[in-house]
Amino acid sequence: MSDVAAQQATEQEPVIDLSLADAIIDKYIDLPGNLMPVLQAAQDEYGYIPRIVADHIAERLNVYPSQIYGVLTFYAQFHLKPRGKFIIRVCVGTACHVQGAPRIVETFFDKLGIGHAETTPDLRFTFEKVACLGACGMAPLAMVNDSTYGGMTVQKVDEIVTDYCQRPMK
Amino acid sequence: MVNLTIDDKQVTAPKSATIYEAAKLNGIKIPILCHDKKLKPFGACRMCLVEVEQMKGRQIPACTTPVTEGMIIRTSTADIVKARKMVLELLLLNHPLDCPVCDKSGDCDLQNLTYEYQVNSNRFTDEKFSHEIDYNNPLIERDMNRCVLCGKCARICDEIVSYGALTFIDRGIETKIGCEFDDGLNCEFCGSCIAVCPVGSLLARPFKHKARFWAMTKHPSVCGYCGTGCNITLGVKDNKVLTTIYDEEQGFHKGQLCVRGRFGYQFISSEKRLTTPLIKKNGRLIESTWDEALELVAGRLKGGNSVAALATPRLTNEELALFKKLLVENVGTKNFDHAAGYAHTALTGGFARSFGTSASSATILDIQKSDLLLVIKTDAYETHPVVGFEINMGVKNNGIKLTILSDKRGKLSKLPDATTIVHRPGSEVAILNAIAKTLLDDKLVTATAATIAGYAELEKALSGFTAEAVAAECGITAAAIKTLAAAYASAEKALIIFPAGQAYSGHNAELATAAANLALLTGKYDREGCGVLCLSEKNNSQGAVDMGFFAQDGGLNGVQILDACAAGTVKTLFIAGENPLISYPDHAKVKAALEAVDFLVVSELFLTETAAMADVVLPVCSYAEKEGTFTSTDRHVQYFKAAIRKNIKIKSDYEVFSNLVTRLGGALPPTPALFFSEIAANTPGYQGLSHVSLRKEGAFAPVATAPKFVAPLAVAPFAPETGKLALVTGSALYHNGTLSEYGEGPMHVCPENYVELSRSDASLYKIAEGDLVTLSSSSGSIKLKAKITPRMPAGVVFSPYHFSAAPINTIWNGSPVTSVTVSK
Repeated sequence: MSDVAAQQATEQEPVIDLSLADAIIDKYIDLPGNLMPVLQAAQDEYGYIPRIVADHIAERLNVYPSQIYGVLTFYAQFHLKPRGKFIIRVCVGTACHVQGAPRIVETFFDKLGIGHAETTPDLRFTFEKVACLGACGMAPLAMVNDSTYGGMTVQKVDEIVTDYCQRPMK
Repeated sequence: MVNLTIDDKQVTAPKSATIYEAAKLNGIKIPILCHDKKLKPFGACRMCLVEVEQMKGRQIPACTTPVTEGMIIRTSTADIVKARKMVLELLLLNHPLDCPVCDKSGDCDLQNLTYEYQVNSNRFTDEKFSHEIDYNNPLIERDMNRCVLCGKCARICDEIVSYGALTFIDRGIETKIGCEFDDGLNCEFCGSCIAVCPVGSLLARPFKHKARFWAMTKHPSVCGYCGTGCNITLGVKDNKVLTTIYDEEQGFHKGQLCVRGRFGYQFISSEKRLTTPLIKKNGRLIESTWDEALELVAGRLKGGNSVAALATPRLTNEELALFKKLLVENVGTKNFDHAAGYAHTALTGGFARSFGTSASSATILDIQKSDLLLVIKTDAYETHPVVGFEINMGVKNNGIKLTILSDKRGKLSKLPDATTIVHRPGSEVAILNAIAKTLLDDKLVTATAATIAGYAELEKALSGFTAEAVAAECGITAAAIKTLAAAYASAEKALIIFPAGQAYSGHNAELATAAANLALLTGKYDREGCGVLCLSEKNNSQGAVDMGFFAQDGGLNGVQILDACAAGTVKTLFIAGENPLISYPDHAKVKAALEAVDFLVVSELFLTETAAMADVVLPVCSYAEKEGTFTSTDRHVQYFKAAIRKNIKIKSDYEVFSNLVTRLGGALPPTPALFFSEIAANTPGYQGLSHVSLRKEGAFAPVATAPKFVAPLAVAPFAPETGKLALVTGSALYHNGTLSEYGEGPMHVCPENYVELSRSDASLYKIAEGDLVTLSSSSGSIKLKAKITPRMPAGVVFSPYHFSAAPINTIWNGSPVTSVTVSK
């Protein structure tokens, strides 16, 4: 592990309870092709795949650690860093684009101080640009976790951020 | 066989062949980039596109498409050439084209294809990659900017090496080859990935900017480390060995090498090599002349039985035979031996009794043809990595069942469906005997077994070895023994493999006979894919046995010679290439013996710790500077010639022994070639062999078996002492004997001795990774770096023996298991 990686590990992965991963592995251990369900369940459990969990899964499932990393980076569904409590997705598909999605995105960047696929240091927000959420009639469109916000404007960005900043983290 | 037409030529090919293979068989060349005959077809690069008439003229990859009856294939139509050109244009789009400074230039598939297809312009433009170059390890440089994503490195690391260091990471245009979490490469450094890389993405760092590929002469040779007998090609420029070059046509292993073979060549052209004879005067070694040194040695050799000799099994067959001749005929002594006197006893004491020949009854080629492998100690991978590759491939590709009996887990334990029975250290023989007993009790023996001599005695001697009794003593379950016995008996073909060597004193005659008994009981000893294979430690260990260079007919063995030196009955000791001070058990005892002996002469490449104690040191050649033959562990006799001219001031051991023969009044021995023909005529299995006949690919010396059951001695298994740990010695993957200390590559990645211990012992003794810990036994104590690994069972620690800076023989007196205490 390089120095930087070691530092990140201590900074970002304070306490990882491997017994949670063990419970998941125990459930799938006899299933052929169990890597994907184990990784998916681990992500549901931890919110992302911490390195120590990936290494633990590699050891217990007897899969090369490199292979696990290959799978984790191939699928967009897996995350290697902690994610925010509130995932903000802004559509940048064709319909939203012509309705001004780029300005919505820029405003979120300014308000949150983070860019695409990044997370605020307090782990409150993660921001993602996505290509089409399937509700083009409501363009420009944003989502926060499972709530949908149609007809987005710069003012609405402000309201959304203020609203979610006041919500409890627990 | 199927009939097909390739480029209007009627050809036939095996049913299982791909279009590429069928074309190659019939002398038609289809260009490839991502294909390798050792690996499974992949079809990534699209260089091998061909047209098949039945597929409506579509362009399909030749390397992944199987042939069918009546196929009509065209390999180089105008359309195909155009398509290949475009493939190259697309590959060159991101490739940096820094060929003038790239070490691969001249040996680069991409460069050669670009030249062949005259891709002198590119219709596309794009940015080049800007991946960081991986300089994190001292041996393998990874520049992913040059990568063409053929995947060969990742595939060979998985399919053959079974390490899995590399894989495809990310997706789409961002895809690259990388390690877990995009770290720097940190693997076992066999360099297989470098060998197969078609471009300059993976390069050998020790060779960087040393020579252009075309400026080197390429000399095929035989590796000078372990007993596998791998063929290597040495890259030579200005009479220096600069690198090893991959040649996929070489040897049974198709050019595959381990870290020692690929990166351990530097000892040949090392600055540390001895270049003048040295004579001790007033307690100091002073430079001298050959004449003075040899005259002095010759004078001291006139002592009959008070002369003894130890030789390294790294010498050629010719040298060992001549040394023996010198000792027996001109000196008049029987006191000579090699490998500490015990490391060859599996052959000379074990197989000699069980099979009637001091040789394994199987070859390395039997591994992949077997159905079940019983490997004793996971160390078989570390001692003989290329044999380990054969096991990997057999298990992964042919579905061979692998069972390992070992005192610790290891890399082999990770193979798919491998069973590792971890037992208490030192109980291998007892377990094998219990398996034999189970075979007898459960009537799993073949009908013919009872006709083999010694059957009744064996049955009687095994009475105490019931599975239950042995299992309890050895820390395993009786069911494990019974399951293994049933599996071994029911397998159509089964092969037993165990490593031998100076660090494996428990792998002796007893172990060899116990293993041989299993093979004889089930009739699995002289058929293809069956037998017992002892992996001998050094490159010519089997040759040393075949040449008879070991204690016999009342001569003193290795240990007895040192005892006799200490007692004063041996007055002159000639050590040819051995380094007993480091590699023989009991450092203090060896040191006392070497100090006590009147006259010590050492012929060596380097001023080793042993050589430094000598009265005369003779500088001799490495294998790259002489010609001769080596016999691999499975009796493959191979000829090699000198790759470089030797320094004018040094001699080969052969020249030294020849000279001494004449100084002692004998006739001048003939050249090595003539001498070999002479000794071959009198060596069983070697009859008819000569340097000329061996020139192409060597020959397997056949093993004639005269089977006999050998009743086992009741060996008390090692009893662990309370509060102490069991130390087992062995070989590190990166080293072989003490020679690899002078091969820079292995020392870059494994520079010092260490002790491996389990996680539970580490927490018990509050030891962290890398801590300096003191190991103490009744013989002494030593400070070693701690390595915490999940493979060690609680209560067992492992340490290799190669290192002169912290030799394990300061606490190890040669017993298979040593009780030690560990403290910080």
